[in-house]
Amino acid sequence: MPRYIATRLLSAVAMALLASLVVFLISALVPGDPVLAQLGDIQASNPQTVLEWRAKWGLDLPLWERYGIFLKGLAHGDLGISIATRRPVLDDIVQYAPATVELATIAFLLAIGVGIPLGIAAAVWRDSWVDSLARAISLLGVSAPTFWLAFIMLAIFYGWLGWAPGPGRMDPIAFPPEGPTGLFLIDAALAGDWEAWWDAAAHLILPAVVLAAATIGLITRTTRAAMLDALGQDFVRVARAKGLRARVIVLRHALPNALVPVVTLGGLAYANLLAGAVMTETVFSWPGLGRYTFRSAAALDFPAIMGITLVVSATYLLVNLLVDLSYGLLDPRVRR
Amino acid sequence: MSITTLSRRSLMRLLGASAAALPLLPAGRALAQARGSTLVIGLDISDTITFDPVRQAQYTPPMTLAACYDSLMTLEAHDLINPKPSLATSWTRTPDGQGWRFTLRPNVRFASGATMTAEDVKFSFDRILGMQEQTQQYIKAVDRVEVVDAQTVDFILNSPNAPVLPIFCNPGCGIAEKAVLTRQGATAGPGAKDTDRATEWLNGNSAGTGPYRLVRWERNAQIQLQRNPNYWGTAPAFERVIIRHLSDSAAQLLAVRRGDVHAAFNLIPEQMATLRGDPNVRTERLPSLDFVYMAVTQNPAANPVLAKKEARHAIGHAIDYEGILNNLLGGVALRPAHFLPIGVNGSTEQIAREIGFSQNLDRSRQLLQQAGVPEGFEMEIAYGNAAVAGISYQVLGQKLQSDLARVGIRVRLNPMDQVNIRTVYTQGREAGGVLTFWNPPAVCNDLWASAVVERVARRVHWTVPPEMTALVKRASEEQNLDTAANLWIEWQRKMVDEAHHFILFQPIYQIAVRNNIRGFPLTAAGWQLEMAHVTPA
Amino acid sequence: MVAMPATRPRWRRRLRRYGPAWVGSAIVLAWILVALFAPLIAPYPPQAQDIVNRLTPPSADHWLGTDVLGRDVLSRLIFGARLSLLAGFSVVLLGAAIGVTVGIIAAWARGFVDEALMRFTDLVLCFPPIILALAIAAALGIGSTNTILAMLVVWWPKFARLARALALVQRSQEYVEAATVLGLKPVRILGRHILPNTLGPLAVLITLDLGNAILTFAGLSFLGLGVVPPTAEWGSMVAEGRELVEQWWVATFPGLAILTVVVGFNFLGDGLRDWLDPRTRGR
Repeated sequence: MPRYIATRLLSAVAMALLASLVVFLISALVPGDPVLAQLGDIQASNPQTVLEWRAKWGLDLPLWERYGIFLKGLAHGDLGISIATRRPVLDDIVQYAPATVELATIAFLLAIGVGIPLGIAAAVWRDSWVDSLARAISLLGVSAPTFWLAFIMLAIFYGWLGWAPGPGRMDPIAFPPEGPTGLFLIDAALAGDWEAWWDAAAHLILPAVVLAAATIGLITRTTRAAMLDALGQDFVRVARAKGLRARVIVLRHALPNALVPVVTLGGLAYANLLAGAVMTETVFSWPGLGRYTFRSAAALDFPAIMGITLVVSATYLLVNLLVDLSYGLLDPRVRR
Repeated sequence: MSITTLSRRSLMRLLGASAAALPLLPAGRALAQARGSTLVIGLDISDTITFDPVRQAQYTPPMTLAACYDSLMTLEAHDLINPKPSLATSWTRTPDGQGWRFTLRPNVRFASGATMTAEDVKFSFDRILGMQEQTQQYIKAVDRVEVVDAQTVDFILNSPNAPVLPIFCNPGCGIAEKAVLTRQGATAGPGAKDTDRATEWLNGNSAGTGPYRLVRWERNAQIQLQRNPNYWGTAPAFERVIIRHLSDSAAQLLAVRRGDVHAAFNLIPEQMATLRGDPNVRTERLPSLDFVYMAVTQNPAANPVLAKKEARHAIGHAIDYEGILNNLLGGVALRPAHFLPIGVNGSTEQIAREIGFSQNLDRSRQLLQQAGVPEGFEMEIAYGNAAVAGISYQVLGQKLQSDLARVGIRVRLNPMDQVNIRTVYTQGREAGGVLTFWNPPAVCNDLWASAVVERVARRVHWTVPPEMTALVKRASEEQNLDTAANLWIEWQRKMVDEAHHFILFQPIYQIAVRNNIRGFPLTAAGWQLEMAHVTPA
Repeated sequence: MVAMPATRPRWRRRLRRYGPAWVGSAIVLAWILVALFAPLIAPYPPQAQDIVNRLTPPSADHWLGTDVLGRDVLSRLIFGARLSLLAGFSVVLLGAAIGVTVGIIAAWARGFVDEALMRFTDLVLCFPPIILALAIAAALGIGSTNTILAMLVVWWPKFARLARALALVQRSQEYVEAATVLGLKPVRILGRHILPNTLGPLAVLITLDLGNAILTFAGLSFLGLGVVPPTAEWGSMVAEGRELVEQWWVATFPGLAILTVVVGFNFLGDGLRDWLDPRTRGR
């Protein structure tokens, strides 16, 4: 087992590096000059200044040398300096990541909390109104464009009904809780600042629902299908024949079997939530990694783009690995 | 405590007491108290890179910098031509006539409590000159700064008549405290470019004499300012200011309606229109000195037709300026004839009407005939993925496309990201027209006109005749304002005739302000808001 | 608690089971017809500006109102269907073609080739798609072809995985072994035996994926990458109306258009799966 994990980790690292190399090569094709966009008008018109700045970011070096420098920095845990924000890419990522992690985690919990029970219910009461409802919810969740849903939800629940707070992570005048994690819910709880906790929690609801919508749909569908499968298996028939109560059959026998595909999907969905929050973050003014990604890419901020690619793909691969490892814990056949 | 608040609020809602009672909003007592003494501004601050005055070259940071740093002089909103005293109480020519001598305001203290002296002024300017960033470029006429005594400073110029005074008003030339900056790693003078380490600190703090001091900047989230207890002027009414980053104008609209922010800066005309019925929110207008314009290249390699002046004139006569101003912008904008905004010496609406382009389709078709393309021609218009004054280049581009189509000019739109457009334009590689924006770093005719003949002309492949450069020099060094105005008019007339730049409009920004704010003094001088003079109702 | 569905009337079960598939086909067909006959149906040319009558609410003249430049939202919606469907179909079909080829080759070749191809698909899958799309748009320019290209780059791996899995199953089937023993060439076995048997599950994935591709394309357009104006496209129409909370019709209707077409493909794909799946078909 440890050897398997080590191999997988190693290949994940190699893969993430490869991904960053590909992005690096693509971005090298871009005709635009990121330095010009960061300089003032007068400086940008002065060839001397432009040359100096290009040299400052190593943009005058040959390609392979630039990638070499990136790798060398990486070995020391240094992702380089962002051209757009002019500070270490790692600092930027550390600043923006918690907002996204918090949002994606809440959205994920929401998706699981709604999707799995709904999927189970839909499978158990198959073809009933519950099934239809589950189908409708999952269908709408999967089909609605996130950017549009965000717009509609904000307009209705914040603008019109006034039930939810506005964009951002907290009330504009509140001080964000100081803490070690950057996750406001945890930091506020650690500090015992329940007012801030409530504030942060309330601000999370709308964006989390929007972000979770598609995932809820996927998880409901998968759970339903897997449960139907499991309920049709022989051991469930046997259990039923033994006269076990329906609840016991569903929760103790069928569910564990059905969870395996759900976990696979859930893991991937979580990784996608982390990477796919761009639109939700844009509409909700959420200072997260998604918007940092978009801005960096739009500004052709090479160091930032490569850093993000590295982090995102590594996360994705890591989650994948965890999912694979969890099979062993969940699948009764494997456990045995 | 939160729970009691919540239930009380729910009860109120049940009683129909208030539509603003929010079951999800745990607005506790502490927040409510903080609100009373805090000014909250909704603004898109995504352009902010730094709050080091010397390094700053972006659009929104001057608002914050002007609240934290005072300059030697300032410009008042109603008079953008004559600088007024700020940290300097008076100024005269130096005895040898080679520069300016400033007498400093006595007993001005920094936020730290230390008294400002001529040493701080010299240090601040030496740092600007040594860093060789954008701010330095504007004051490159300054050769050196000399301390005469604790209250007197001489600025020696390398060309004595260079118009530097209005430029000194911009917050980039703000005076910072030498002792504090030095402690944070700042250096001044030659080599500062490589040795200065203070920017990092200045990004989260400030060391000026202004009404506020910077206490926190979270990138793309918020800026927090705290009242400076040692401020030399009238103390500002608000204890704290929070500039809240709201990138989405729809979110800003909702936030100002709901009272989550006191003012929203980035609303679009349609949203302003919907606010008219709101009794709690009013509209303040902020005239600007900015331009939204189209630059057209005359590079024959890019487009041989555009190399002909007649063809460019045809474009000038085909654009529906009125439609852009009155319909797209709801009438809230101005249009100068060329790169001298309405409001400065030599540019008024009257003059612009007389010498600027106006739509005349027959004339345009005639000009196309003269250019040898009676059936029209094809051209490209490139623009960046952005918006100015609530109107996106994309919408503007489509409007121009449809206008030019009426005389047979077939426009291909070419949307680009901001970096590519910038690269293409500054390097003069555009294939036709480029839609873009220009905002001044300071108020000074010379800054626009010199820029045009020195840099902007190159981008459209126009070789500037020497008499044009001479005209700009003559106009900017002319000390008599009336004579100068006439020279500036002549310059604009010539520029219009060259037809490389079509000014589409000079935005008037509309700011939504809640009525619990009484005074909200906006200014076109570059920093948008006189933050110290904002007052509650 | 475990329900006994058999007690329900047969027709009701059928309707529940197959009704959505019919509704799905109807929606998809309707949109395809709208796209094909757009010039005949649309009341106005999609590019025609009427700057004086901009942002007028839905009325008898403009059923879905007008946009920022006074263009008819309905007409743009109708023409927008063309691009969305075209983009969806080209990405998914081309993606499937590439993916299936890679997958089958991997399954057939096994060993090193298989390992290399599958690691390569893993590599593509771990890419942040937004970065890739933005980088490609920056390098090649903004436009629908480039966006479709960018999508293709990340689109094919899932088909490769599915095709490989299916082909591996098929490969071990007796009839394939028989064909091999009989001396049929690998290409022939692939084309005549393996591919046809993998088509069913592929068709399901393709149908479900069409909705997904349309959503992604609209999303990229929303971010400003999809199309060059003044071409009408749903995602960019939502983007143009995103800031207009009061003029809700500008953003709401194109969003609904995306929603319906994606719902249609999802219904259809679900129905197709139920129909093809032997386990559910029997019950």
